[in-house]
Amino acid sequence: MAATDTSTPVTRPQRWDQPFGPEVTEADVARLLARPEIAAIRADRFPARLPLHEILRNDARIVRFQPGDLIVREGDYGNSAFLILSGKVRVVLPPGLPREILGRHEVRRKGWWRSLAQLWKNRSVPEVRAASDSTEFFRKSEGSSEQRVFLQDVPAILDRNKTAVLESGALFGELAALGRVPRTATMFAESESELLEIRWQGLREIRRFDDGWRRMIDERYRTNALRAHLLATPLFAGLDESALSQLTEHTLFETYGAFDWHVSYQQLQGAEAVAHEPIIAAQGDHPDGLLLVRAGFARVSVKLGHGRRTLTYLGAGDQFGLEELYDAWRAGQPRSLETTLSAVGYVDVLRVPTDALEKLVFGKLSAPPRRLAAAAARPLAQDALLEWLVDERFINGTQAMLIDLDRCTRCDDCVRACASTHEGNPRFIRHGKTFDHWMVTNACMHCADPVCMIGCPTGAIHRSEQGGTVVINDNTCIGCSTCANSCPYENIVMVGIRDTGGRALVDPRDQKPILKATKCDLCSGQLGGPACVRACPHDALQRVDFRDLAVFGNK
Amino acid sequence: MKTARQRFTFLPAVLLGTFVAFLVPWLWSRQNSLQLGDPALVTGWWLFAVMLFLGAFNARKKLSMLPLGNASTWLMIHVAAGLLTLALFWLHTGSLWPTGLYERVLAALFYTLGFSGIVGWIMQRVYPRQLSDTGVEVIYERIPSEIAELREKAEALVLNCTKETGSETLARHYLETLHWFFCKPRFFANHALSGGKKARAWYRQQCDAVRLYLNEAERSFLDRLTLLAERKAEVDFHFAAQTLMKRWLLLHVPLTAAVMLLVVWHIVLVHIYAL
Repeated sequence: MAATDTSTPVTRPQRWDQPFGPEVTEADVARLLARPEIAAIRADRFPARLPLHEILRNDARIVRFQPGDLIVREGDYGNSAFLILSGKVRVVLPPGLPREILGRHEVRRKGWWRSLAQLWKNRSVPEVRAASDSTEFFRKSEGSSEQRVFLQDVPAILDRNKTAVLESGALFGELAALGRVPRTATMFAESESELLEIRWQGLREIRRFDDGWRRMIDERYRTNALRAHLLATPLFAGLDESALSQLTEHTLFETYGAFDWHVSYQQLQGAEAVAHEPIIAAQGDHPDGLLLVRAGFARVSVKLGHGRRTLTYLGAGDQFGLEELYDAWRAGQPRSLETTLSAVGYVDVLRVPTDALEKLVFGKLSAPPRRLAAAAARPLAQDALLEWLVDERFINGTQAMLIDLDRCTRCDDCVRACASTHEGNPRFIRHGKTFDHWMVTNACMHCADPVCMIGCPTGAIHRSEQGGTVVINDNTCIGCSTCANSCPYENIVMVGIRDTGGRALVDPRDQKPILKATKCDLCSGQLGGPACVRACPHDALQRVDFRDLAVFGNK
Repeated sequence: MKTARQRFTFLPAVLLGTFVAFLVPWLWSRQNSLQLGDPALVTGWWLFAVMLFLGAFNARKKLSMLPLGNASTWLMIHVAAGLLTLALFWLHTGSLWPTGLYERVLAALFYTLGFSGIVGWIMQRVYPRQLSDTGVEVIYERIPSEIAELREKAEALVLNCTKETGSETLARHYLETLHWFFCKPRFFANHALSGGKKARAWYRQQCDAVRLYLNEAERSFLDRLTLLAERKAEVDFHFAAQTLMKRWLLLHVPLTAAVMLLVVWHIVLVHIYAL
């Protein structure tokens, strides 16, 4: 009997099916390999499945900038580093460029009259924009259809701001790309420049297999960020200058998980997702150092039955393994880890070696509290909520919209309030994932790790200066949908815009509608904070930070 | 989420304010009566002012762009002020049921308005918890498409059963009974009043009635059909509860307008003819 054919054969997707830039030719690769910075890389150290040649071809692209073109903006989240091939690049030193020059906008709070005027100024059709709002900030990049924000008067900017020059051969942006932290400075092209942009995957491989690049990147990290991070860690607060220097010298930094974790998040859920999480440190292993989470989230779990029980999760600034290391030092014999640490998404960790801790830290430390033992003693049912929050990655939210369904009358007053303060179109959907009587709605959570901000070509989506709210500058949004596609929680909606007459705005070249990304902005321009919260007559809706689980305890 | 203590921070102040808002006109009207004055004039105007304030809650909802305080605080004051108007109404009329025809019409509308407010308030306290207990969450406007989807699944299941087992028993039974159930929201009153016990009993009975005549393979289809019916009953409950929670305002708000209109005319008449 013939077996029922229920499958469709397709070629298994491969890592380089989607190259970073399609324009890297064989000649380009040959030219790159001849450059001293790349020629110094030991290509023979790379495994056959990941040759340097292919990394350059698929994980890098050559980008040309005209004078004044912004390359990276301070505060942006980027997933790539840049090597200057030719030309001059300026780095703007503190205090940096005014935000409006960078194509961002200052959210000005409306006064009473302007707030009230929304009653009659809101159009009968939603999403009305003036047709000419968006053009002044952009120009097309050379040789591609990509639009860039550019600085209009470079000499004046050089006069008014402190800057430094980077020339051919300089590498920048690698720490933001590998550490998933915001860019610390704005860079722009001073002259016509050619840069090699390497996405984080390629950079990670080069750092992994080439000692020279690893030393260079690690050294820059040690100089620029590590010391500050260790200083900010309470555990090392009492250390003197020399001890801190020794610690800085010995600390390793590592990354786990995928930068674009939203893809796996959307594909895998529940126990399957847990099984796929990269293990940072496994239960039963001997710890070789204290792990400090620098960015991202990690799950702390123990084996239970045929699965793993989540005890807690760690975010930036948290540490793992201290109890075991301290006990081992006190007892004078090794101790294995009681829990497993795994990467929830992308995690950037620092590993402080055991011998450095024993020599420099433990002598001044009192016994750390046994938090995890207490967590393991909790009834299973009590942890179901935590398990759900971590599985769904809601722990990322700092201003998530949480609805208590036991109080919500489904009256939609929150939705109407949102629409009335946002040009007639609500910026959230009163629907979402539920647990027990809690619902996390499809409203922007203003994430601690904002995946949506990675890859925005114009920096339109950014954190506001006031409170770090993630907002979109409508004027510089080009409607590319990168942010909407990246948001793991589907909280960004692309909308077609209209002119003041209510007619849909279309691109005259292809007649396709002009789109803009829209999402909750926490009513940043409105009086009195989020209108949705104030509009709920039953106190059923709150904006919450899930780091504080007490929000669920109160009824 | 706000704790009960946080939610009721203003409650003592609201209760005290309500008590004072009644006590002052009551004491004044007693004093005025002793002086052979006409206390109804002042209690009437005071009652009218409180009613205007009650109506302002609706305006607050429309002005969500202004920082006019949390709607939850407004609702608390609205409920307290609503109860106050009942007391003020009795103080003003001096009886539970006035004598003139116009006043009786006004009183009837006023009582209906108060009753609708109390019923609405109770529904808003009772239904949400029952809805979340269903484990199903569906937006009101999407209920028709949700039901259509369930119906399509049920019909596909029944067709598959016929195709795979060669028996039409389940399909025939579906057309005779369950098809009616899957067509649109059913058992509205039962869902509204007793949480849909009758609806559940009904579909279980329909499923049990045919089980006797099915073989093992058909029964597995029936089990899946029962699960779909279960889900349909939950959606029906959402429909009933959400409809009532949305629609009671369609009674409350027009009644408010009607009462206010009659009150204004009442004031005009009083000032023209009675003074």
